[in-house]
Amino acid sequence: MARTRSKGGPASTSADKTASTTAKAASTSTYTLPAESTNPPKLFVLPKNTSSSARIITLENPRYGNPTRYLVCPETGSFYEFTKAAPPNKSTPRSWLLSSEKSEKEPSLESQTIQSPDLYLATPYDPLFLLLPALFKSSSNSKSDNQQRQYLSLDDYLDLIPNTDRHFSEILTLPNSRIEKVLEARLASVCDLVEMGDDKMYRPNESKLSTIILSKASKMAENLPPSMEEKFIKKALEAPVMGVVKDQPPPTTSTSSPEETASPSASESQSTFTTSSGTTPSTAVTTPATEEAPEPTFAPAITASPATISLQRLRTSLNFILSSYLPPFLSKTVLSSLPSETFTELEEYLTKLSKLRTEAAASRNIDINGGKRARDEDDDERLEKKRKMEQEEKVKKANTSRGVKQLAKVNTAGMMKLSAFFKKA
Amino acid sequence: MLEARLETANLFKSAVDAIKDLVQDCNFDCNDSGIALQAMDNSHVALVSMMLKAEAFSPFRCDRNIALGVNLTSLTKVLRAAGRDDTLTLKAEDAPDVLNLVFEATAQDRISEYDLKLMDIDQEHLGIPDTEYAATISMPSAEFKRITTDLMAMSESVTIEATKDGVKFSSTGDIGNGSITLRQHTPVDKPNETVEIELSEPVALTFSLKYLTNFCKAQPLSNQVKLCLSAEVPLMVEYGLEGGSYLRFYLAPKIGDEE
Repeated sequence: MARTRSKGGPASTSADKTASTTAKAASTSTYTLPAESTNPPKLFVLPKNTSSSARIITLENPRYGNPTRYLVCPETGSFYEFTKAAPPNKSTPRSWLLSSEKSEKEPSLESQTIQSPDLYLATPYDPLFLLLPALFKSSSNSKSDNQQRQYLSLDDYLDLIPNTDRHFSEILTLPNSRIEKVLEARLASVCDLVEMGDDKMYRPNESKLSTIILSKASKMAENLPPSMEEKFIKKALEAPVMGVVKDQPPPTTSTSSPEETASPSASESQSTFTTSSGTTPSTAVTTPATEEAPEPTFAPAITASPATISLQRLRTSLNFILSSYLPPFLSKTVLSSLPSETFTELEEYLTKLSKLRTEAAASRNIDINGGKRARDEDDDERLEKKRKMEQEEKVKKANTSRGVKQLAKVNTAGMMKLSAFFKKA
Repeated sequence: MLEARLETANLFKSAVDAIKDLVQDCNFDCNDSGIALQAMDNSHVALVSMMLKAEAFSPFRCDRNIALGVNLTSLTKVLRAAGRDDTLTLKAEDAPDVLNLVFEATAQDRISEYDLKLMDIDQEHLGIPDTEYAATISMPSAEFKRITTDLMAMSESVTIEATKDGVKFSSTGDIGNGSITLRQHTPVDKPNETVEIELSEPVALTFSLKYLTNFCKAQPLSNQVKLCLSAEVPLMVEYGLEGGSYLRFYLAPKIGDEE
């Protein structure tokens, strides 16, 4: 979809030029390194199908409210956001080494290294998100005033979009710009529409917005990146491994296979887990023979059903969208306008899971503490004994008279014990 | 329970004082006949035997046989609080944890009361047979004390030689030698200074002076001390008390080559 191009921002290119000229001036000696550029070029991956009129413009980020750069192509009416791909491991120094091929079409760039290892990806962006703050801003404080919201024209809404750098208005007014049309279509998808003559008037509708966000989320959930799958799906649903599986059907009843296949066995759901492809457990895998074989002693206490897993994926995606693209006040609105039973099954599973985790943690604590305490007690006992002995000795010494101590020094060689003379009574 | 009252604490104080330098802990065995004590020193070469008969006390009451295990150093500490002429009352339950001591100074109407914690002491009792000693020497206890102290300067041991003429205490040490001889002597006006020797046959035995000086700490108990000797049996040093009560020390003689 895209090819790699190096391209500095409008500001950076001029700065780059001055940097390279100073570098040239400095390189009188063959071995002198050119001075470091103060504004080094950045590396972007840009979409192929953009026209030459495409611009990088600065708009207010609908989520965070800070100025953010977007790539806009007026001819296709498409918006792109920039995603910075940082190196996974910060401790390893990385850089880009750039060398351009000779080509007639484009001015060739000097071969160089770029210290920063960042890569900016332009990814398609739904302009709807840009409209949302303007749409819902006016009536964000009260929820139930769907009726009180006014019908406004597209222009009215566009005026509400913050336009500090005049980038947005410029793009709208470019010749053969499709931007306005695209925006209108996106606007219509979340609004109630009333036509008054030639004018189309729009009123934002929260339930429509929710539907759109949810459909986006479910689309995203179909193909989660592996890192998210691992962190938010697998880890989040993983039940603690219990030493003994308690809820085992007794082996005698396991001869009836239909009963077993009714509920997915532990090993089955585990396999769906690891493959993470969301395949439904095939009952054919479960043969009576495997069932009769003793279950592994170490198995998760509960396992998530495929429905639960897909629900978790959906929720993860939804949360991602809500927390990255929607203004904070709208995230809540969207969540509350979702049908309440959407995540019921998942909630039940999670409640069960958290209970199990607490239990497991508690039992582990007991294990650790128990072992430690036993050891401590041993130590304590020994110390106590030692202390007691020492104390006893001390007391004994204190309670021994001088006479007795001195008698202990007397040479009693040649003196027979009295028991030799007197018999024991 | 035990209740035993002594007119003067002095007797008990002195007895305990003398015993505490020989043994650390011992049982006071109380029965209806009185309070008895028998203990050996750590080296088991000396033995102390005390008998305080019921008659020595007024009143004396002991319903059951009780063994009062006492650390003598601790008892000494408590007894230090008693004046010499205080009346002393010993009290204990039938299965006692503590020995209760009450000192009454009749002159000042002062009553002090102490509880002494008791301990369990495993002690072996030796049966001491009545022995016909070859020589029995009665002498002033102060004199015996002086002899032992004087001879301590010469040596660690003393040879006691009883003959018809008298009794000779002699010591030979690094710096020289010395001896004290006492003859029979019965002054009519001062019966306390009597020296009597009953002899069936001459006897000479060597003893550790250190032990003897320790025995002499019982000197305040009695004006007279009795030394009973026989060849190859322990020396008995007896401090007789009124009414048949006594404090006796036994010491094994030194046999074999000396020095």
